[in-house]
Amino acid sequence: MSERELHLGLMFWATGTHAAGWRHPDARADAAYDIGLIQEVSQAAERAKFDFVFLGDRLASDPALQHSNPAQISRLEPYSTAMAIAAATTHIGVVVTANPTYSDPYAIARLMASLDHLSDGRAAWNLVTGADAAAAHNFGRDAHWDTARRYDWAEETLRVVRDLWDAAPEPDGTGARRIDHRGEFFSVDGPLDVARPPQGHVVVFNAGTSDRSRELGARDADIVFAGPQPTLAKRREYYADIKARAARHGRADHVAVLPGLTPIVAPTTEEAVALHDRLNALLVLDPEREVGDIVRAGGIGEGHQRNLTSASEVFGVDVRGNDLAAAVPSSTLAAVSEEGARRLTEITRLTRRTVDGPDRITYGDLVHATPAQLSHVVVGNPEEVADMIQEWFEEGAADGFNIYPAYVPGAVTAFTELVVPVLQRRGLFRKEYGGRTLREHLGMAVPPR
Amino acid sequence: MTGLVLAYELSDAVLAGPAAGIVVAAERAEAAGVHALLLGDRPAARPGRAAPPAAIVAASMLAVRTRRIGLVVDAAPAYCEPYNLARMIASLDHISGGRAGWRVVTGPDPEADANHRREGVDPAVGREVRAAEFVPLLRDLWDTWEDGAFVHEKDVGRFIDPDRVHVLDHAGPALQVRGPLNVVRPPQGHPVVLAPAAEPLLAPEADVLVAGNPDRAAASDRPVLGTVTPFVAETQERARELHARAGAPRSDGDCAVLVGDAASVAGQLAAWADRAPVDGFVLRLPLPGSVEVFTDLVLPELRASGRYSGEFRAGTLRGHLGLARPANRIVGRLTAAGAERS
Repeated sequence: MSERELHLGLMFWATGTHAAGWRHPDARADAAYDIGLIQEVSQAAERAKFDFVFLGDRLASDPALQHSNPAQISRLEPYSTAMAIAAATTHIGVVVTANPTYSDPYAIARLMASLDHLSDGRAAWNLVTGADAAAAHNFGRDAHWDTARRYDWAEETLRVVRDLWDAAPEPDGTGARRIDHRGEFFSVDGPLDVARPPQGHVVVFNAGTSDRSRELGARDADIVFAGPQPTLAKRREYYADIKARAARHGRADHVAVLPGLTPIVAPTTEEAVALHDRLNALLVLDPEREVGDIVRAGGIGEGHQRNLTSASEVFGVDVRGNDLAAAVPSSTLAAVSEEGARRLTEITRLTRRTVDGPDRITYGDLVHATPAQLSHVVVGNPEEVADMIQEWFEEGAADGFNIYPAYVPGAVTAFTELVVPVLQRRGLFRKEYGGRTLREHLGMAVPPR
Repeated sequence: MTGLVLAYELSDAVLAGPAAGIVVAAERAEAAGVHALLLGDRPAARPGRAAPPAAIVAASMLAVRTRRIGLVVDAAPAYCEPYNLARMIASLDHISGGRAGWRVVTGPDPEADANHRREGVDPAVGREVRAAEFVPLLRDLWDTWEDGAFVHEKDVGRFIDPDRVHVLDHAGPALQVRGPLNVVRPPQGHPVVLAPAAEPLLAPEADVLVAGNPDRAAASDRPVLGTVTPFVAETQERARELHARAGAPRSDGDCAVLVGDAASVAGQLAAWADRAPVDGFVLRLPLPGSVEVFTDLVLPELRASGRYSGEFRAGTLRGHLGLARPANRIVGRLTAAGAERS
């Protein structure tokens, strides 16, 4: 890559990516089903010259998630939502999450190509294999497949989908050919009925930290992103690993790494910290339980709940029965586990409260730091948030970010109006789109047939 | 039912063209009060030409570019997972504000089958049984969320009312789905389901029956639409020319073909409306300019004869068709079970 360019995407979760984001006064709690609002948020991202709007997905609904992860309960289906966004915008890319575990390769190839045509080359596929066992029961399967089988299936799907795109007709009908795929899992004759996508292949996203996922991302994806890592050093390690794997596949310059980032931003640091505190105060905690009981959180795998019992387990000190607003004695904080100490550093980074000092960490801070975070969180004024973005970008930890708005639409507006101008002023982010397709925004050429 | 129900089935020529052309056709139809657009969807290649985009994607584009017209998409149970299709149609209903419909596609299609074989699945096998089970299953999935289950009460932090969200645990001969769906109940309750009148297993599950040639339609307790392919022009002669250029088909599958000027085509439709048990027509508009020609020439004749209003009666497709919003079937079953217990 010649001149590296920062890329920004908008992770659209209607409830916001903070579990209580929907309760903020500036949040639209019904955003999931208001296509006009979804379009407005996307237009705001386009005015800020974002590369894409990203639509996550999950093929199950669990009402029990309403306090831990309400965005995962229900939402509009991503292909139709992406099309509605594309119809209201002109440049911004639209990313559809589609899980090959529960879909035909021909259907994915066709739907993505359709979206790419009707958006004039702005479609992307976020390939997930679904770490969520609940989906299996909605598709007639007794059990969730293991990782190896899911990735074998996904990799064959991706081969078939790309073969179908390469064997698809031109818009004038010429050039179509059968693929006659006979693989381990699929038998697909082709040709694709819809014309080849304007982007040749729609852009492919993949997220994950497992070895299979890293390898798939480095070999086959255009954009790789990953969940939060504990330290910047770990971030750089991940970034370097993806780039090294990509280089081994001859694709060193073809894979961009875009971590998720939740910016809690306001004109001043004090206001940003207050906003972060306010969001956390709106969280509905899980009922206390017996120590050691295995719990589910987030509906996806095992996890930690939001309560003092879980906080005691994670920090390695018994903090049960305390008032959440009260400051934790320094002696207690000095006794936390190694993992607890790491999290105390995080708490200080986000809340500016410290282990000892006038403004001390509270029991509530411990509880809020207990469940796994969806993404890296940064709390600060526009310059502070831009500093963090610049540091990661320049220190080899990220090629850009998938921005997670804590609540919708307020957090989107805050980032686009407060932070993006700073990034533009620093020469880090585009002031105008240089092209029309998502591949052009990402600096990626159309692959030959 | 007051007046004829009319639906335009857009041709591949329009749908495979530029997005702007699809939108213009939809706007023309909507301005003339046509009740619905039908978007075909066949996942198999056509020799020598590129096929239209997937119907659900094109329909979503039209949903945000139109305000009143119904949007009906084709989908074959043979190539869909019920959970995926249920949420796609439900999402289209949300995006369009209650204007979505689904036309159930049945019948063998070896070319499409050959694109959809996977480990343990051959779509050619058990089509009818799967389709018959599929339709009521989609209705049940749409009903896994009761109306009003999505409460989003900010003050107390209650986002949904879990007592109004239901697991389905459907286990039938062909399909097993636990539920609940991951989309709240659609604005219409159930988007409108259109099924072939000739399919005895499916017809009882449909909201609207689609027959072929109106002369062969059978009476039903629900709306019946005949299917007609009109070749229409300013003059009989020109219409015959268009028809000849298209290969002079005498019928279009099992659908009727009409050839003539506006007055004769409108007259034939009116005659069918008077003597056949049909409540309206699916008009397969075969040529790139057919939407404009039919809308500008034939619809005024139908309006003049008092058989077509050209006005929308309601804000939803169900409303256009005079269909009531269905009660929630799961709630009904739970209520019935509760009454039995008490």
